Amino acid sequence: MQSLWHACLTRLEKELPPQQFNTWIRPLSADVRGAGTLRLVAPNRFVLQWVKDRFLRRIETLATEQSGTPVRVALALPDVSDLPEPAPPASPQPPPAAPAAAPAAKAPAAERRAGERPSLITEFTFDSFVPGKANQLARAAAMQVAENPGTSYNPLFVYGGVGLGKTHLIHAVGNSVMARQPNARVRYLHAAQYISDVVRAYQQKSFDAFKRYYHSLDILLIDDIQFFTGKDRTQEEFFYAFNALIEAHKQIIITCDTYPRDIVGIDDRLKTRFSWGLTVALEPPEQEMRVAIVLRKAEALGERLDEDVAFFIAKHIRSNVRELEGALKNVLAFARFGGRELTVEVAKEALKDLLSLHNRQISIENIQKTVAEFYKIKVADLHSKKRNRNIARPRQMAMALAKELTEMSLPDIGDAFGNRDHTTVLHACRTIAALRTKNTDLNRDFHVLEQTLKG
Amino acid sequence: MTGQLILELSPPAPPTFENFVAGANGAAVAAVRAAVRGEGERAIYLWGDAGCGRSHLVAAAARTPGVAAIDDVHRLDAAGQIEAFDAFNRARAAGTAFVAAGDAPPAQLAVRADLRTRLGSGLVFQLRPLDHAAKRAALRAHAASRGMALPDEVLDYLLRRLPRDLGTQLAVLEALDRSSLAEQRALTLPLARAAIEALGPA
Repeated sequence: MQSLWHACLTRLEKELPPQQFNTWIRPLSADVRGAGTLRLVAPNRFVLQWVKDRFLRRIETLATEQSGTPVRVALALPDVSDLPEPAPPASPQPPPAAPAAAPAAKAPAAERRAGERPSLITEFTFDSFVPGKANQLARAAAMQVAENPGTSYNPLFVYGGVGLGKTHLIHAVGNSVMARQPNARVRYLHAAQYISDVVRAYQQKSFDAFKRYYHSLDILLIDDIQFFTGKDRTQEEFFYAFNALIEAHKQIIITCDTYPRDIVGIDDRLKTRFSWGLTVALEPPEQEMRVAIVLRKAEALGERLDEDVAFFIAKHIRSNVRELEGALKNVLAFARFGGRELTVEVAKEALKDLLSLHNRQISIENIQKTVAEFYKIKVADLHSKKRNRNIARPRQMAMALAKELTEMSLPDIGDAFGNRDHTTVLHACRTIAALRTKNTDLNRDFHVLEQTLKG
Repeated sequence: MTGQLILELSPPAPPTFENFVAGANGAAVAAVRAAVRGEGERAIYLWGDAGCGRSHLVAAAARTPGVAAIDDVHRLDAAGQIEAFDAFNRARAAGTAFVAAGDAPPAQLAVRADLRTRLGSGLVFQLRPLDHAAKRAALRAHAASRGMALPDEVLDYLLRRLPRDLGTQLAVLEALDRSSLAEQRALTLPLARAAIEALGPA
């Protein structure tokens, strides 16, 4: 691929003015990874976009000519790891080393740290957990466990759909225990974190420290156990930890998205053990409870909310608590930023995306894609300078639809079609309007496209 | 005084909050800046069509250490979604900012439900692209800040001929300014046109 790129370079240098060649082509480097693909790395997004818009096809043609077989050219940015500062936005920081990863010599420090900072979110308490029919039993069981950890229901297995308060509830147990026994070794973690702890212990051959840490806890709160699916080594380690803790009358609380017996890809002996204690469900909240949640959450955020606004939000956001709280926050922010009094009307405006999912604004990209598919041409043709009828007519159609279905101005529409002048757009709209009165086929096409776009 | 201006383009300035032209997106910018400072709601999700500025804001947020910033959520594969989910949970526990962006509102994202609902649990903003008038204003302001004389016909030409993103337009504007200064020639439409056409086919 390197020599192929060299051959292309030689050709491009001959056919392009030196400034273009030096500005856009010379900074590209060929990457050998691809087979049948020439991968070119641009130094930055700016060069990449420019090359993609203006030179990509030519490079593809040249590469195909040179190699005798079709070559696809892929443009890329340098690998994230090669880049200097600033940190690219793509991937989040790796998780901080969990206590279990500490080498054996540091184990006491790790244990102390676990005691001091049990990774609990302090706002997730029983007080802030709004009760209702949907969580009655789960809440009662969790409070019971918090009173008598290790001796009432062990394990406590909490299951339910997303956003119903599983995480909140098990943090509440942890916080409640910590409030009474500040020295208790309470550990909350997400199942994914446990999996990476196991992997790390395996890589660093530190299973002794790992076991010592997990087996020494007073309370283990583990979230989303369904993440263990298909992870045999993790399941085995968890099996040992589970047995050790239960035998020592230490409390385990597990959450999951389904009933224990229904989890797929989990060892039967674990599933059986999950049902040893008590299994409780969190259900989606009913309307009355949703109103209470909205009011309580607003209060916690220091905002006063009229009942009719709370009722409006609760009536329309039914799926789960998390979305309900998200909706409330967005309504509050919308009113605050706009300096408006919080009325039902304002709430309706703030939530219009959530309320009318299918009423999404039609975008220019969507129009271009739909029109291109309809006429079996490429979206790039719509942007191109080509003037043959089978391209120009669909382009005019797309422009007319953009005028009809979006709030974009003529110059904005022109911009979106390969930087055309607004007079070109105006001409397109008039042409299509005139044709629709004379040409029934074209008129029908217009309606079909319009209906498709409106959904 | 003959010959054509040679433009030496430098890549657009790295995306920051300062060089983001907010247009109709003032509320979103204010919310992201507050979250990054550690104030108010820390979980922010931005969505909109390509070119609306979502990557710019996510990249600007990512410049602050400790902020989880994830762009193009709709393109995450299974492993990427779990990473994002994990990043959200860690930010939640640490009380630090989580800024993500995608091409659709949370409820319409084809990602795992636990991630989708988390993205919708904080503040959600639809970003609107800058319209023609706002772009004109931004280019004009940028020229003024450099003490550059930018005739209307040159401005119109730039907007028509260059790629739509503001970063490119500003970079070309700066290059025009630099080389017309260096060669001590007034920036006229013919001069700008020749210099830009030399950069490549439109």
